[in-house]
Amino acid sequence: MSNTETLAFEIGVEEVPAFDLKNATTQLEKMVPEALDGLGIPHGEVRIYSAPRRLITMVDAVATQTEAIDEVFRGPSAKIAFDAEGNPTKAAIGFAKGKGLGVEDLERRNVDGTEYVFATRHVAAQDVAALLPDVLRGLIVGLAWPRSMRWNTHREVFVRPIRWIVALLGETVVPVEYATVKADKYTYGHRVLAPGKHYVENADALLGVVEAAYVVKSQEEREAVIREGVARAEAATGYTAELPAKTLTEVINLAEYPTVMVGTFSEEFLKVPEEIIVDAMLMHQRYFPLYDANHKLTNKFIVVSNGDPACEAAIIDGNERVVAARLYDAKFFYEEDLKKPLESFVANLDEVVFQEKLGTLRAKTERVTALAGRIAAAAGLEGQDAADAKRAAYLAKADLATNAVIEFTSVQGVMGSYYAKASGETDQVAQAIAEHYRPRFSGDEPPATAVGQVVAMADKLDTICGMFAVDQLPTGTSDPFALRRSAIGIVSILGKLGGVSLVQAIDDALDILDAAGIAFDKAAVKATVEDFFITRTKVMLKDAGNGLDAIDAVMAVDVREPMELTARVQALETARQQQPEDFADLATAYARANNLRKPELGTDADESLMQPAEKALQGAIAQAEGAVASALQADDFTAALTALAALRGPIDTFFEDVMVMDEDPALRDMRLKLLNAFVSVFVNVADFSKLVKSGK
Amino acid sequence: MTTPDQEANAQQAPSFQDVIMRLQAYWAKHGCVILQPYDNEVGAGTNAPATTLRALGPDTWRTAYVQGCRRPTDGRYGENPNRLQFYYQFQVLIKPSPEDVQDLYLGSLKAIGIDPEKHDVRFVEDDWESPTLGAWGLGWEVWIDGMEVTQFTYFQQVGGFECSPVPAEIAYGLERLTMFVQGVDSVYDIVWSRGDDGVVFTYGDVYLENEKQYSTFNFEVADTDFLFQEFADREKECKRILRANLPLPAYDSVLKCCHTFNLLDARGVISATERMAYILRVRTLAKACCASYMKNVVGMDVEVEGIEEAEETNE
Repeated sequence: MSNTETLAFEIGVEEVPAFDLKNATTQLEKMVPEALDGLGIPHGEVRIYSAPRRLITMVDAVATQTEAIDEVFRGPSAKIAFDAEGNPTKAAIGFAKGKGLGVEDLERRNVDGTEYVFATRHVAAQDVAALLPDVLRGLIVGLAWPRSMRWNTHREVFVRPIRWIVALLGETVVPVEYATVKADKYTYGHRVLAPGKHYVENADALLGVVEAAYVVKSQEEREAVIREGVARAEAATGYTAELPAKTLTEVINLAEYPTVMVGTFSEEFLKVPEEIIVDAMLMHQRYFPLYDANHKLTNKFIVVSNGDPACEAAIIDGNERVVAARLYDAKFFYEEDLKKPLESFVANLDEVVFQEKLGTLRAKTERVTALAGRIAAAAGLEGQDAADAKRAAYLAKADLATNAVIEFTSVQGVMGSYYAKASGETDQVAQAIAEHYRPRFSGDEPPATAVGQVVAMADKLDTICGMFAVDQLPTGTSDPFALRRSAIGIVSILGKLGGVSLVQAIDDALDILDAAGIAFDKAAVKATVEDFFITRTKVMLKDAGNGLDAIDAVMAVDVREPMELTARVQALETARQQQPEDFADLATAYARANNLRKPELGTDADESLMQPAEKALQGAIAQAEGAVASALQADDFTAALTALAALRGPIDTFFEDVMVMDEDPALRDMRLKLLNAFVSVFVNVADFSKLVKSGK
Repeated sequence: MTTPDQEANAQQAPSFQDVIMRLQAYWAKHGCVILQPYDNEVGAGTNAPATTLRALGPDTWRTAYVQGCRRPTDGRYGENPNRLQFYYQFQVLIKPSPEDVQDLYLGSLKAIGIDPEKHDVRFVEDDWESPTLGAWGLGWEVWIDGMEVTQFTYFQQVGGFECSPVPAEIAYGLERLTMFVQGVDSVYDIVWSRGDDGVVFTYGDVYLENEKQYSTFNFEVADTDFLFQEFADREKECKRILRANLPLPAYDSVLKCCHTFNLLDARGVISATERMAYILRVRTLAKACCASYMKNVVGMDVEVEGIEEAEETNE
């Protein structure tokens, strides 16, 4: 039994980017135990701490020695290991070598009456102190970063330059070195609140020294400090703060010693649409906006500072000046933009390339307007609604040429809607412009109105068809135009927008691209785009909890409309939930029939040879055939499934009563023809052989 | 409108030229060659040859200089208190990057009257990439009380060549920094100089007329035919000089091309599709200059590409 010591390891680094820090913390939580366990170093709990300038690993009760181990391995039997003369064979030599031993080290032992050779390997206890430098250096080397860098004259890389290393096993420095930085007993505190070196007596002292030097040592603790501060600010102002996850993560990892402060800007700026103000505060400054009881933006905001709390007044003053300058710009841009009608910005879209081969955003606007007209007609929009859809499509991208959106990109769409209202467009047009980017992420709502849905669908479909036409398909993880997300968005819009055929809309979109002078093979692109949507729909169905087997069964039939595919899968799932036995059984019978049948024989079975079970099946098939055809005609997939379910009894009886592969060729052919007919009833509904027996 | 309080503050705080002189003195003390501004139009201090070209190669290099920067599209006719089409950067380049470079930087803030202990100083991730130069680096923007006052970058690559050793670049926005130090809200209110007899010149006194005239020139008056011709001529000239193995004078033509392109952009005569093509042409030249510098100055065996005589098609 060896002694244990605490291990403390701090990588001191220049400010690590916020998200990289979070990610590295997670990596270390896995890497550290793996590295120690891999070398058989007994240890207690592993805890990882991090702050912008440091990554700290603490390990409790690290044994100072690894345990000595005798590992015993059984090899081949003695008969195989030695030849007739008693010399070791290749098998014995190979076995010994594989264990790092010579053949003379092998011993024979009797196991249940058979003699085997055994190898015993002795691993001596090792000093952990000798193993640790490589382990710790391995952590530095092994951390993965989105981008790493070199510094000074070194060849080593890290996310930012490493400036110090603390590595202590108990009181002893573990000699780790990286890019000429040698581990020592000195850490560094907060950059300005506790500058310079701080001595660390032993491993257990590290966290205390760091904390005393104005560093809140973990993300969780800093988040708690920030949330407490925000709660105090809310209580003091009577307002409510909004803390979006992304900005919060950044703020947590932008300060080693966070202090929450409240700033104010002139009420004058509240005339600017609040989306711009919020964008300026969250995206540019990492402030949290404060809202009143009616969820209206107020002129107060929250700053999380890394400075001395005693200097609050100066820090707030500085931040208020910055926000005033930004909002001054925003107000200036907004007011400039308002001087011209939104429509006048459409011409400027000629200056903005959408995609090299697909031309400018102006060209896209023309295409989307035409496509929106067709989709609106298919969706049955008339009069003002139809006019609004085309108008909104025409104006949808205009705000991208406005000053406010060029400066504050996240407010695209929203600004267009403000400008549309100010230019006297209808409310419906303004709303459609604001919402046409939706759904923007998985789970986001599609636009609320039919007009918005038409514009959103036309915009996304033009992008997808256009990119496919110029051969810019998404590959693996590369989908720069977010085509997959757009496709999913369209499918969810189709669910709201009744009566629209995607296949027709794709055809329209491609015709419009063709008319715009973009050269491509229409038939080929059309098929690829349709396949792309079907694949996306399949993913959506799976994500929604439908069985993969049900999806595959339905997809065996060539369905091109996502909505139809969805309806069919849902119908199949419902039907087999209601009649689990019928469907499980039918699937088995179908698979059997499908294996046996001989399509080349046709379906014209000789009735004169039939026995009752065969006649019954033939009658049931004829009935089901008619019922399935009229059900599909009426788009009633559930009825088609009900018709198929009726075949269960007759097919079961058939298989029980007769032997299909009879020696008499006439009987055999008649039965195979019946099976051919049976299988063909399913052909336009689903491939039941894909259904997993147990149902789910 | 400045309040009496702000005026009092501005009077105690260093003037614009004090800030410049103190930064020069500070970095001179730390071994930098204090250069005078490069006498050619540049969009940023980084683009001056003392940074772009000298970042390459194995030799130690330390420099600090003020650089006037031209960004024609940022002109606002002198009506916006925060935006200028001509402004000043203070540029520091130290190769290899010293171990205490962040502390050196904080020391420079003290030198101009900003005590980091009394403010919220943060280093916020900011990766730098210049496709035109084939260059990238990692670093931060430095915030003081929420205001971005400096770009801090460890260059990794320039002109497609790995920087080894790695230089650290520090680029201060002099107007922003001085606005912060003096506590004024408009760039035009910056006290530029203050004589012993109390005579004060503001930034507005010095540059407001400049901003008005150049905004009009950039957006409305610059002769586009002349500029298109100048771009083509300079491109041709750059290649010719490179064929003579003279990267330093050739680089002047790259800068001329850049500025000409920026003016054409401000005049709104470069369509979006052409835009990319122009950027690519500048990139070819910039990379060829870096390659030629590596070959002729650093002494590396590299190929200088894209400088053949052929391209007469634009005429």
